[in-house]
Amino acid sequence: MDAPVVRTRVGGPGSIQVQNLSHVYVGRDGASPALADIDFAVEPGRFVVLVGPSGCGKTSLLMMLAGLREHSGGTILCDGRAVTGPDPDRLGVVFQEANLFPWLSAVDNVAFPLTLRRVKVAERRRRAQEMLRLVRLEEFGRRYPHELSGGMRQRVSIARGLVQDPPVLLMDEPFAALDEQTRMSMGDELLRIWSETRKTVVFVTHSLTEAVYLADEVIVMSARPGRIIERIEVDLPRPRRYETMSDPRFIALRDRIWRHIRAERA
Amino acid sequence: MPPPAAVRWAIIATLIVLWEAMPRLGMISPLFLPPLSDTLRVVVVDWPLYAEALVVTLGEVAVALVFACGGGIMAGALIGGLPTLRTLLLPVMSSAYAVPLVVLYPVLTVWLGIGPESKVAFAAINGFLPTTLATAAGIRTIDPNLVLAARSMGATLTQRITRVIIPAAIPTVLAGLRLGGVLVIVGVVVSEMLTSTAGIGYVVTRYRTVLDSAHVFGAVLLIVLLTLMFDTLARFLEWKGAAWQPHVVSRERRGRRTPVGEVAPAE
Repeated sequence: MDAPVVRTRVGGPGSIQVQNLSHVYVGRDGASPALADIDFAVEPGRFVVLVGPSGCGKTSLLMMLAGLREHSGGTILCDGRAVTGPDPDRLGVVFQEANLFPWLSAVDNVAFPLTLRRVKVAERRRRAQEMLRLVRLEEFGRRYPHELSGGMRQRVSIARGLVQDPPVLLMDEPFAALDEQTRMSMGDELLRIWSETRKTVVFVTHSLTEAVYLADEVIVMSARPGRIIERIEVDLPRPRRYETMSDPRFIALRDRIWRHIRAERA
Repeated sequence: MPPPAAVRWAIIATLIVLWEAMPRLGMISPLFLPPLSDTLRVVVVDWPLYAEALVVTLGEVAVALVFACGGGIMAGALIGGLPTLRTLLLPVMSSAYAVPLVVLYPVLTVWLGIGPESKVAFAAINGFLPTTLATAAGIRTIDPNLVLAARSMGATLTQRITRVIIPAAIPTVLAGLRLGGVLVIVGVVVSEMLTSTAGIGYVVTRYRTVLDSAHVFGAVLLIVLLTLMFDTLARFLEWKGAAWQPHVVSRERRGRRTPVGEVAPAE
């Protein structure tokens, strides 16, 4: 990396601040609180994972960070500025399903956000190809989504999320639909991409092992209405390896998270 | 087991041979089935008559197609895209589809006369409903996650429509177009057969009433060819427009085309 990574400035590029965020869901049966008192900040370049029992609103929270969903109260700041709607220059999003456009080749899928901005063809091809190289799919640019495996599709989706070089990458259970083997290698792949690009990552998952394996910090949420129960610093050394998962500290962290969630599920 | 294509061609060849042989051998009266060679001969000899009729029919089909498919796609997009319109109109449209529309034709001749206008109107109505229903269904099957993904990339409403919804809807719309187009041809020919002074359907009726079977079958043959040509063209468009669909691409690799309407084999 040519530029030194600034890890202390809150409010700088790639930082996220969520202040007193709440959300009340209004449905047919009246209003019910979905999120309450959500307060946290993420320093640039950090890898933060959100976990919690099913239905706790972690995906909703991520969609609010992405500017894709309204919230009732509080503020969300990215780079010190409020998030009021989708902003691909600041926030790239990767979804649970790769959500690639089936009528576009892999390279055109990656270039799609640039197409929306009317970037010139040669330039967007170049940048899309560069991103495919980052996710190690430079040979597969001309393939269509249905000609790629599930893991490859998700890598294309990550490349697409990064093509406009946003400082923050938001990921909503991106590996949940993959089999366990693919999922483990995708985790390593993501950590490699993260260490090469030094993006801020906010990652939602159901898997506690995945959470501890990937994160600098795990934010544990309560059952609905979702609140933050604990923010757990994961101080395991990097690069993380398969053996890291049998480290007693790894197991202790995972147990601690599980105890929180088990209590919430009861 | 021989390849299916070979079997298909063998069946067609057998039918052609039977068409020629059965009347010639006296197995069937030429009044009911004139030999193929006689049929082809009258088509060649009376080609000016047939050509003139075909031009009239094709003209009516073309105009009716514009109304049926243009209107059908627009109506389908609105009904499929707007939930309010969908709940209001879709049940009505689905029921209307079950009505034998040919009962409307006498009414249309009263309103529009027995010229081409009533044929165009009848055929357009005939093709409009299936195109509308297919397009509405196509719009509804679009994965909302694709639209959400586009939104996360900063796509405006217009961009979401032009770059996501329309491309995603194309295969179903083209399938509807093929269905609607065939029904337009049916509509034109049927209405020409009922009350008319021109067109290929009129030729059928005219020669049927004087028991000139060769001329009747000549016209039938041309109608079959016309429909097959339209269907081939429509399938080609569908295949072009849906080349990215998994089953279409895989069949294409095996040198065959599949209409979108068919169910994809399980992966």
